[in-house]
Amino acid sequence: MIVETGHYALVLALALALVNSVVPVWGSVARDQRLMAVAPPVALIGFGLVAYAYFALTMAHVVSDFSLVNVVENSHSAKPLIYKITGVWGNHEGSMLLWVLVLSLFAAAVALFSRSMPEDMRANVLAVQSWIAAAFILFILLTSNPFARLAGAPVEGNDLNPLLQDPGLAIHPPLLYLGYVGLSITYSFAAAALISGRIDAVFARFVRPWTLIAWISLTLGIAMGSYWAYYTLGWGGFWFWDPVENASLMPWLAATALLHCTAVMEKREALKIWTIFLAILAFSLSLVGTFLVRSGVLTSVHAFASDPTRGVFILLILVIFIGGSFALFALRAGGLQQGGLFAPVSREGAIVLNNLLLTTCCATVFTGTLYPLALEAVTGEKISVGPPFFNLTFVPLFIPLFILMPFGQLLPWKRGDLAGVAQRLAVAFGAGLVFMAVLAAWRGGPAVSVILSGVAVYVILGSFVDLVRRLFGGGVSADMVSQRARGLPRHAFGTAFAHAGLGITLLGLAATGWGAEKITALKPGEAVEIGPYELTFESVVPRNGPNYSELAGRTVIRSKGAVVTTIDPATRFYPTRRMNRSEAGIATLGLGQVYMSIADVAANGAVNARIFWKPLVALIWIGALIMAFGGCLSLSDLSFRIGIARRARKAQAPRPQPAE
Amino acid sequence: MMRKKRRLVLISAALAALSLALGLVLLALRDNIVFFYGPSELAQKAPHAGQRLRIGGLVREGSLVHEGGQTVRFAVTDTKQDVVVTYTGLLPDLFREGQGVVAEGTLGRDKIFHADSILAKHDERYMPREVADALKKQGVWREGAEAASMGK
Amino acid sequence: MLWLIFAVFTAVAVLSVLWPLAKAPRGVARGEIGIAIYKAQLAEIERDEAQRVVAPEDAQGAKAEAARRLMAADAAIEPLPAASRTRARLASVGVSIFVPVLALSLYATIGHPDMPDAPLAARLDASPARMDLAAAIAKIEAHLAQHPDDGRGFEVLAPVYLRMGRAGDAVSAARAALRLLGETPARHALYGETLVAAAKGVVTPEAKQSFEAAAAKDPSAAEPRFFLGLAAEQEGDKAGAREIWGRLVAEAPQGAPWAQALREKVAALGAGPEATQDGLAAKSEALPEAGQMTAIRGMVERLASRLAQNGQDVEGWLRLVRSYTVLHEPGKARSALIDAKRNLAGDPNALVRIETLARELGLEG
Repeated sequence: MIVETGHYALVLALALALVNSVVPVWGSVARDQRLMAVAPPVALIGFGLVAYAYFALTMAHVVSDFSLVNVVENSHSAKPLIYKITGVWGNHEGSMLLWVLVLSLFAAAVALFSRSMPEDMRANVLAVQSWIAAAFILFILLTSNPFARLAGAPVEGNDLNPLLQDPGLAIHPPLLYLGYVGLSITYSFAAAALISGRIDAVFARFVRPWTLIAWISLTLGIAMGSYWAYYTLGWGGFWFWDPVENASLMPWLAATALLHCTAVMEKREALKIWTIFLAILAFSLSLVGTFLVRSGVLTSVHAFASDPTRGVFILLILVIFIGGSFALFALRAGGLQQGGLFAPVSREGAIVLNNLLLTTCCATVFTGTLYPLALEAVTGEKISVGPPFFNLTFVPLFIPLFILMPFGQLLPWKRGDLAGVAQRLAVAFGAGLVFMAVLAAWRGGPAVSVILSGVAVYVILGSFVDLVRRLFGGGVSADMVSQRARGLPRHAFGTAFAHAGLGITLLGLAATGWGAEKITALKPGEAVEIGPYELTFESVVPRNGPNYSELAGRTVIRSKGAVVTTIDPATRFYPTRRMNRSEAGIATLGLGQVYMSIADVAANGAVNARIFWKPLVALIWIGALIMAFGGCLSLSDLSFRIGIARRARKAQAPRPQPAE
Repeated sequence: MMRKKRRLVLISAALAALSLALGLVLLALRDNIVFFYGPSELAQKAPHAGQRLRIGGLVREGSLVHEGGQTVRFAVTDTKQDVVVTYTGLLPDLFREGQGVVAEGTLGRDKIFHADSILAKHDERYMPREVADALKKQGVWREGAEAASMGK
Repeated sequence: MLWLIFAVFTAVAVLSVLWPLAKAPRGVARGEIGIAIYKAQLAEIERDEAQRVVAPEDAQGAKAEAARRLMAADAAIEPLPAASRTRARLASVGVSIFVPVLALSLYATIGHPDMPDAPLAARLDASPARMDLAAAIAKIEAHLAQHPDDGRGFEVLAPVYLRMGRAGDAVSAARAALRLLGETPARHALYGETLVAAAKGVVTPEAKQSFEAAAAKDPSAAEPRFFLGLAAEQEGDKAGAREIWGRLVAEAPQGAPWAQALREKVAALGAGPEATQDGLAAKSEALPEAGQMTAIRGMVERLASRLAQNGQDVEGWLRLVRSYTVLHEPGKARSALIDAKRNLAGDPNALVRIETLARELGLEG
């Protein structure tokens, strides 16, 4: 019964989304408060219904209800509970339901936490959000229904793709979706602002925390996704410039640009048109990503050709939402009032430059991802655009951004003094140069790695120059410092950490140049040296997991003769799908990692092994965590400031306020 | 005057960034794109030796030979034409006879394709289109091959 | 119960719209928030100035800017517009009709209110009388995995496998039953039948042996004799087949359902011209294939009649459509397609497979 009630709840959610698509907009056009007031409760109940539907599907997976096609195709009764739950979004139908769940979660969050928002703005934002929700629920119900039933239920399912049976996958899609879909809110804000024609600091103030939430999730999601690829694909690589990865990177670039741009708009009411453009762009790129991944046009052109309904449906959604919003944008953008003035050398100017570079980077990724598709569609010629393309386009554009970052932080609003800022950054810059020189003398190695490491050190130190100056400037006592620290807005700390995080990631990336890789056949008892360590392959141990059997190659890691740790790289066999998967053995030693994957276990116990030593590789993901931490710091600051706005309003407008 | 100047600076910065990007993209596209051929196309187009290529098709059943060390040799087929591929290194998990595969490398004068990477897709159902089409024509396209997809 | 839950859900959904429409309006005007925000901005500029993040003259300028906006926002405060009762009523009525009608009609077309949940554990624990076939099989299989000596279980499973088209499993189950429980004519016959099914209708030598053993122990049993006749026919021994089947028909009990069909077969065998000595060599080459065709046709007809009784077997339908195409009978293939779609209407997954096959075979439209 829970299955059918879940199905009905989803249908009902569609009806409510349609109601919310119309009534609040009608209210805002007719300036009728009652109609506008409909939006928040409907958004909340709509979220409840979608959440229930999602819960119902999850339950069906948990209890192995094989009367659902979705469960049969993607689950197995012997699968561990955690993968029964994560398997819900490990397939097309379930992941689309998760998409809609996150979409309505954001609508509900806006309904709950934006009580202080202007009524018409809130009504329009929730209405636009409901348009998107309605389109996607319709998509689910008509083309990818997870609640499709099977008359004669089998007793066993096909199991989940073993690659997806992994803790990394358990977290990364929901995080990515929080980011992807979180950008829908900024889109809704932009569309609502265009509809009402009012774009000002109020808009920027309210859109900023949502952008931040989306950006934090996206950052974490991408990092998690790359770590997952790193240790389940058994290749030792963490970023492949794969279209699926690019699909998540493009919205991240746009969201990063948007994040900086809303700061300018909030403070200075400048760059209005640009902000709106970016808000629309960011979500459009999310939609494009969804289309690329979900229509199957990328991974398997065949899937798109043989079952075009899904692809065409998403394409239609894409055209309507992207086309519609840009048309509205073209119509309205001209009529916007000019904002505050600023000199080219100023924080605004730096952010403009940042935005230019970020969007250009985004454009190159977009080109590299879609050019092969376009070429194939036009000429039938099939090409692939691999890492060399991106290394040649994306990287040179990103380097100036790194150089620019500390400058942006130090430049004051409106008008700045470049020489003065450069002077303050001299320490960081010098440190970077010294680091480069030391590295080159001590380790040698590829020039790119040396240069990038120097840049990374400069970025990390440069990120904190402003903070240090604000806290310790003028040689003051400890008391003064703590007092100043309390006085500083938290977003100042947030900015510093986020920028430093990026520098740390860069350092991790640069260090890959000093890594070592060996591909070799190992007999039991054989030892091999990699980096500063010696690995002894002892024996192959057969083991049984809940729904797989594995051969683990026990390997001892020694450093200068002393045992450091043991790793168990394994190849797993999943009988239901008759698939093999390797499970890399990874030992994190300091900030570096020894990574080993094995294959082709021979009868005499010998294996083919791929072994890496990756110095500082952990920094790549630690940097991402620090970026996200910085984002959270800023977020806590922003929510605090919205609180002020609410109190101020209450004090000013002593109208009777109902409790709810 | 201030406003005009600002706009000028903005526009020129934008143009500079865009033209830089455009230049890089064109440069990269000229040198770094890799054409993708199926075995039949490869036989028909006969690209000159040494050009980087990607080929895709099915690993022919029974064609995988371990040549000692880490080197393997197998045939990629679209059921009409075969290409012999050699590769040194670890094969990805999803590599199996009778399954789709994409290899990147160069075609030697001996008409043997020397692969330096065998692509493991996130998606086990990755299948080059011409292979899929060829297979469909022969009626060997397998049912249930389009079950779950993953959520990345 | 299900419909009660639907009703509650629908009511909550409709109420979420009606409730704000009925309440006295309240809301925040844009200007008020603008004022609060610009005030906060002013405060921040002052703080920045105190910490010397901005130059004093720039701070003055920024302050002037924010103050200007503050004044503009203050002036823009407009009285909140009145809410119209008529519009609210109109919306209430519209929504109260729209939501239930849309939800129920859409659900009626895509939902399966008649299908209860089927969690695996409950299916396996159900009382035997109410258990579905798949669950029952799974249960017996689990039991047999632990008690591989239980011949009864294999004997029960073999014919079930056979009916489900799992011929390979049927063979091993029938073999196990024969081994564990001892030889009886019925078990020999069953084993033979599974072998024939596994060989896709061909009576293999091993199957023939098994039928012969069954017929030797119980010469009156009809089934082994039918298959022995079939074996003879497939070997090209028309006379032998006619003889075996002829006797079988003659001894058939009154009104046996298979007698009529068999009689026709015998007649068909007799209709052909008797093989003459000089044409024998040519004939014997042609015959095995002709015999096989007959066997295939026989199988296809059996499959068709089985599907006519139980239409839920997707694999069966796919096989049937394919077989008709192989036999160059597009008309029958099309009608089988239509029957399959009608029978499997409740199963979207199956429909997709049927349609894919139709496309592959060019039977669309």
